Amino acid sequence: MTNQRIDNAAPGLALTPGQRAILDIVLDMIVPPSADGRMPGAAEVGVPAYLLAEAPDALGVLCGELEALERRSRERFARTFTGLEAHERNSLIEELRAQAPSFMSRLAMEALACYYQHDRVLEGLGQEARAPYPKGYQVVQGDLSLLEPVRVRGKVYRDAP
Amino acid sequence: MTADVDVLIIGAGASGAALAWSLAETRMRILCLEQGDWVNPADYPSTRRDWEVRMDREFSPNPNIRRRPEDYPINDDDSPISVVNFNGVGGSTILYAAHFPRPHPSDFRVRSLDGVADDWPIDYATLESYYALNDRQMGVAGLAGDPAYPPHALPLPPVPLGLAGETMARGFNALGWHWWPSDTAIATQDYEGRAACVNLGPCKSGCAQGAKASADITYWPVARRAGVQLRTRCRVREILVDDKDMATGVVYYDEHGVEHVQRAEVVVLACNGVGTPRLLLNSRSARFPNGLANRSGLVGKNLMIHPWGMVRGAFDAPLDSQRGPMSCCILSQQFYETDRSRGFVRGYNMQITRGLGPVATARMGVTRGDIPWGAGHHEAFARRYGRSINIGICCEDLPEECNTVTLDPTLKDSNGIPAPKITYRLSENTERMLRHGLARGTEVMQAAGAWDVYSEGPVRQTGWHLLGTARMGEDPERSVVNGWGRSHDVKNLFIVDGSVFVTSGGVNPTPTIQAIALYVADAMKQRLANLFD
Repeated sequence: MTNQRIDNAAPGLALTPGQRAILDIVLDMIVPPSADGRMPGAAEVGVPAYLLAEAPDALGVLCGELEALERRSRERFARTFTGLEAHERNSLIEELRAQAPSFMSRLAMEALACYYQHDRVLEGLGQEARAPYPKGYQVVQGDLSLLEPVRVRGKVYRDAP
Repeated sequence: MTADVDVLIIGAGASGAALAWSLAETRMRILCLEQGDWVNPADYPSTRRDWEVRMDREFSPNPNIRRRPEDYPINDDDSPISVVNFNGVGGSTILYAAHFPRPHPSDFRVRSLDGVADDWPIDYATLESYYALNDRQMGVAGLAGDPAYPPHALPLPPVPLGLAGETMARGFNALGWHWWPSDTAIATQDYEGRAACVNLGPCKSGCAQGAKASADITYWPVARRAGVQLRTRCRVREILVDDKDMATGVVYYDEHGVEHVQRAEVVVLACNGVGTPRLLLNSRSARFPNGLANRSGLVGKNLMIHPWGMVRGAFDAPLDSQRGPMSCCILSQQFYETDRSRGFVRGYNMQITRGLGPVATARMGVTRGDIPWGAGHHEAFARRYGRSINIGICCEDLPEECNTVTLDPTLKDSNGIPAPKITYRLSENTERMLRHGLARGTEVMQAAGAWDVYSEGPVRQTGWHLLGTARMGEDPERSVVNGWGRSHDVKNLFIVDGSVFVTSGGVNPTPTIQAIALYVADAMKQRLANLFD
């Protein structure tokens, strides 16, 4: 699957614009853009479409948790989650991580999988964005003269009767 | 009912393939039934951008996660280690690492040398020529002269050390410990029609290059050209016997679930240390109420699984460690032979493996808290990716009758055949060995210059080595098959997979499994006139 397809293939994901905005903030809290601009944030790599393709079972819970996050934001701070200060968002997310650890862990694991397969990320790491096959990679052969002391020490197995 | 055959092999993995190839020269009618299918190398994860995710899903080594139609479920609730395998032509060699060390001569004489378990009825010398033959057939790479072994030559030069291997080599040298480039079933040069390794990396999800020696591309093409018939998507339910205690054939289901009977003069089990006892236990009859070939009561007992420890080190220097054959680099057998001053008998192999891909690096780092969410994420990731090295600690576990494969009372496969249940625990000896291995692994990581070292064990998803559940021996009261793989109870039934191991050694068992299969095949050929006497 190309990244183009990943980025644009989320028509079946029933996130409202508000939920999508909250999800983008949460994703960037997991992996933010790098200060030098070399690495994108996790909100920029098509995670919703990835979830639809690879983790559809998580989508229902995701929508519910995003709604709950918005409710708590309004209850606690009388503002929408997207309008909170960074430290306010952090406090709500830390609460969610404590109260729904398996969901937040799952979201993070899926987001990381999507992120670290993306062209922009791999290129940011200085790698070619491609499958390993067919081109493969070069690996230095290594210095087998390092074996000399092993040879000198000699036999390390027992004879058997 | 289908046409009779002379030899019916159940399972097309490492041992079934080797035996089929060897027996082909007899021109007997040989049929192999395999519950899985051929795997198309174009489908392997390394052909795709999302290879790391595919490795964990349809190419997961755990059948309970993979859940292909040809997989059978395994109840591993009563084990700290999950069984991992692959069902298809080539069997678990499709997903194995291809780390290919032989055992030591002492591994066949543990009672005589160390006073524990039992000696094997065969020894290293018996199998030596079969190891060499198998090395040639599989195409094994390595470097002659390893002082941990009797002299043996390999047909291909070793896999590259890479910067990671060099780094660890210096650590071992600093401590004065043994290390050596691993014997590896990977074609490091073009070999017998197979293209040379190009360091794709994820060998453990299948080799799209065809450089890794899985049995589907080594033994099977030759065996089939020689006339062996291989029938896929055929799952055997039970082995049939007559009133003279002779196997007459099997009942199996084809891919559409249609039941068939296949008659045979000889039946050979090659289903691994879980699949074989499962099939024997499912083959109950009036003459064998406790399972076929189980008058000793030892079918399914003495399961050995090689508890696995993992030590991971992170280094300052870039090592490009995510490149190269994932699990093959160097090994150390410094702690392989018994030294009672360590607090345990027997020993372990240290298998130095390479680093992880970017997804696995990030996921593991975040899970462990080494790589944070938010600020500092990129910096922490960069300190580990391509700069990490792993050591696998492969512990020899001794046979214990409490470690078993039994039939689950409720769990069944898609054909309704009772599924296996694993009951396993680590002995105190193994626990001590594992702790020793984790500590020594940490020590050598530090000697090599790691700035951070993490260790754990036993690692759950590592039950590759399924051994001992139909052990060989000369005493029918204490073993299931004799010294050349024939059942004591059913004289035309043979077993050639890891079930027949008497003890487990401390190394990856595929070379020994295949050497035994070739040895049993030769024993059968030499006795064709009086095979059942």
